[in-house]
Amino acid sequence: MSLYVHELRLLLRQRLSRFAILLLAILTIAALAAGMAAVARQRASIAAIPAAQAEDIWAVADYVVRTRDSGSAAYYSFHPTWDPPAPLAFAALGMRDVSPTILRVRALGLEAQIYDGDAFNPELALPGRFDFAFVLVFLAPLFVIALFHDLVSSEREAGRARTLMALPRGGQALWRRRTAIRFALLWLSLAFPFAIAAAVEGVGAAAIVAVLALIAAYLLFWIGAAAAVGRLRWGSVANAATLAGAWLLLVLIVPTLANVAIDRAVPVREGAEIALAQREAVNRAWDIPREATMRRFYAAHPEWAGSAPLGTAFNYKWYLAFHQNGDAEVAPAVAVYRAGLMRREAAARALGWALPSVGVQAALTRLARTDLKAQLEYQDRIRAFHAALRRFYYGYLFTDRPFDRSDFDRAPRYERFAQASDG
Amino acid sequence: MSPVALIARDELRLMVRNRVAVIAFALLILLTLVAVASSWSHRQRIADLRARHQQAAADAFDAQPDRHPHRVVHYGSFIFRPLGPLAAFDPGVDAFTGNSMFLEGHRQNTANFGDVRQSSLLVRFGQLSPAFVLQVVAPLLLVFLGFAAVARERERGTLRVLMMQGVSRGQLVAGKLAALGVVAFAAATPALIGLTAIAAQPGAAPLPMLVLGIGYLAYLALWCVVILTVSALVPRSRDALLALIALWAVTTILVPRLAPDIAGQMHTLRNRLQTDVAIARDLRRMGDSHDPDDPHFAAFKAATLKRYGAARVEDLPVNYKGLLALEGERLTAALFDRYAAESFAVQARQNAVVAGASAISPAIALRSLSMAAAGTDLSGHRRFLEQAERYRYALVQRLNRMQAEGVAYADDTATDAGADRRKRVDAANWRAMPDFAFRPAGPGTLARAALPGLAVVLLWLTAAGALLAFATYRLGARR
Repeated sequence: MSLYVHELRLLLRQRLSRFAILLLAILTIAALAAGMAAVARQRASIAAIPAAQAEDIWAVADYVVRTRDSGSAAYYSFHPTWDPPAPLAFAALGMRDVSPTILRVRALGLEAQIYDGDAFNPELALPGRFDFAFVLVFLAPLFVIALFHDLVSSEREAGRARTLMALPRGGQALWRRRTAIRFALLWLSLAFPFAIAAAVEGVGAAAIVAVLALIAAYLLFWIGAAAAVGRLRWGSVANAATLAGAWLLLVLIVPTLANVAIDRAVPVREGAEIALAQREAVNRAWDIPREATMRRFYAAHPEWAGSAPLGTAFNYKWYLAFHQNGDAEVAPAVAVYRAGLMRREAAARALGWALPSVGVQAALTRLARTDLKAQLEYQDRIRAFHAALRRFYYGYLFTDRPFDRSDFDRAPRYERFAQASDG
Repeated sequence: MSPVALIARDELRLMVRNRVAVIAFALLILLTLVAVASSWSHRQRIADLRARHQQAAADAFDAQPDRHPHRVVHYGSFIFRPLGPLAAFDPGVDAFTGNSMFLEGHRQNTANFGDVRQSSLLVRFGQLSPAFVLQVVAPLLLVFLGFAAVARERERGTLRVLMMQGVSRGQLVAGKLAALGVVAFAAATPALIGLTAIAAQPGAAPLPMLVLGIGYLAYLALWCVVILTVSALVPRSRDALLALIALWAVTTILVPRLAPDIAGQMHTLRNRLQTDVAIARDLRRMGDSHDPDDPHFAAFKAATLKRYGAARVEDLPVNYKGLLALEGERLTAALFDRYAAESFAVQARQNAVVAGASAISPAIALRSLSMAAAGTDLSGHRRFLEQAERYRYALVQRLNRMQAEGVAYADDTATDAGADRRKRVDAANWRAMPDFAFRPAGPGTLARAALPGLAVVLLWLTAAGALLAFATYRLGARR
């Protein structure tokens, strides 16, 4: 044991290693703080929904109660949905900065609403977030390189290598000890602050252990790379340059190349085409016989087919029916679009098995529920909620029941659908 | 041959003999070529796709049958942001902003379907473009090739020998600098050739490209100077390498990520829900067209009746519902403008914080210079959003006026079986509506927008030059 203590003292006596380990710990803490602040901002904006929503919906109610018209209620009422950050989201913010945390929908055509974004500054999003995932994936390897590139070569250059090899408990055991100590210090400066932050954020023990193992695995990959380069018996300088070059390739260049390749290999039918097609389908209803619209709607939703006929004046039954028909018309295109996005994500994930940088990023964003899949799952929850909204308003509209102030409180609430998020 | 040229030639010869250096250099050239080709075809594909969508949307608009003008207000208009030719060099925020927008009456929709929400997680690792190669990769290559330039001479004791032979410190450093400068220029050449090829594209102007060229060359020159300075100041070449890699990682990777986070923390953007609710609140205060007793619209009605000398809205020579729509749209549009301006002001403050970080990271200055000259920065997007809003307002008000003048009030309020037919106006009107045409910023505007970034890069170059002069002066001094 005392040998380890001696090695530790030896290591910490070097300015470079002392500085490197301290810097990595500081960067980790800063990234964790930044991530926690970002997540706290998102939670605060979710917490601010009820007040704003109450104000908005009462103004709508003031207007609607004059006519007690359920169609007007459906048309004017926006209902909030939100995507609360998962406990681990602070560690890997993923796509959460560019996709909406909150989205309000009403019981009209969903395909014209669900792709809306929130306000964000694209120049801030462009370089990517400064979060724990960034420190681990991008920066940690550089610290591994700084501490490991001259593990053996420095002793050789100092002329001590042969002596060390000849010592009792020297040689391979010595390098193993030194590797273990350096690895342990790097791992601790990442893992210790992370574990505390994760405990504060209420992350489950299994997820914490998974991330701690991920940190270790990723560090070990780079340590292995450094050892492999070290076996070539080059000088320290050549080792450092080679490892930095490998870092550049694995962390920056190959992922960007792969992104181009995936976008090419998996073309995604542009979402804009769905929006265009849906608009045509919805607006065509004004130019075709209303009976045709209603026939189609009642065929798909026989539960409302017994509703009283329309008459000649404008009728919200018809209006909401053609909005739903419009959604139904583009449903196949939507499924194709979604499948394309999933294939892109799957391709990147598959690349993660070959490329540790991408693999760690993918694993972290999956654990943190901040990846593309999580965004699509949020959209699924919005779809389920929207279907419930439609059922709710149709219950008044197609049975010609008046809509009163108290009925605004009976509208479905998103809380029930947000629960389904953990799966 | 002068001593400077001799030293430069020797240094270059040494680099050529170094197989790793040659391979790294070749890889950089290859990467640049791939970046130029893929970025070029990517831009081409996107630009074509958006042009095709824009055409399809315009055709669909023109092909509408006879309709009530208010139907067309909600049928709206789909517009797509075209991508300028320089986006092939630096796509900037294009992938991060939505590129299509649905414009309709009394609503302001978001720009949707940005690439970032349609791509795998890889897009957040960075986008391969000539700008990315020159900003991020090329400096690291220069570090690998140049870190030992002076440190090696000192480590091996050849520095003293050179000086004893009568080479001055200045000549030595100038020679090494010249050699590294040649490499930097050679590394930048493929990207610059790509840039010139873009210049041949229609719509590309030479002035912003000149700024881009100067900016990138100055940035690479800055790295050459910094590398030589560190190599001259740090006693051992290994330490020089580690210091330079650390410097590179901090200035080009760490700070550009850290600064936006701080900016976002300092200035928070109001989210869409809060904006929508606030707009609705202001609108209720200004006047609620749904409320028959609303003071604003009561006054509006009285003024309208007075202007036409009519006693009732039914007696007006124009359709009062159309006039109401015109007035309502005027009110909402003013609010949209106000809130959009507020949001952009916050974003400008955020960007100012990031720009402030260019005091410690010249890479930030270069990036803003590059995006500004390419027209792919936030102000380029803002330009699109503002023109879109102006077009939306003009279109909607034209349609509202059409309702006021082309649809009789009696028809508009009728609910009998034939009323729907009488409310419609002729389809020829839709073809007469002007299409949206995005006017990109002129070359002068782009170049001017890039000047602050260029100034910062040049300042850095000057400061680094002074530091190198100091390091040269101290070179070989006993410690």
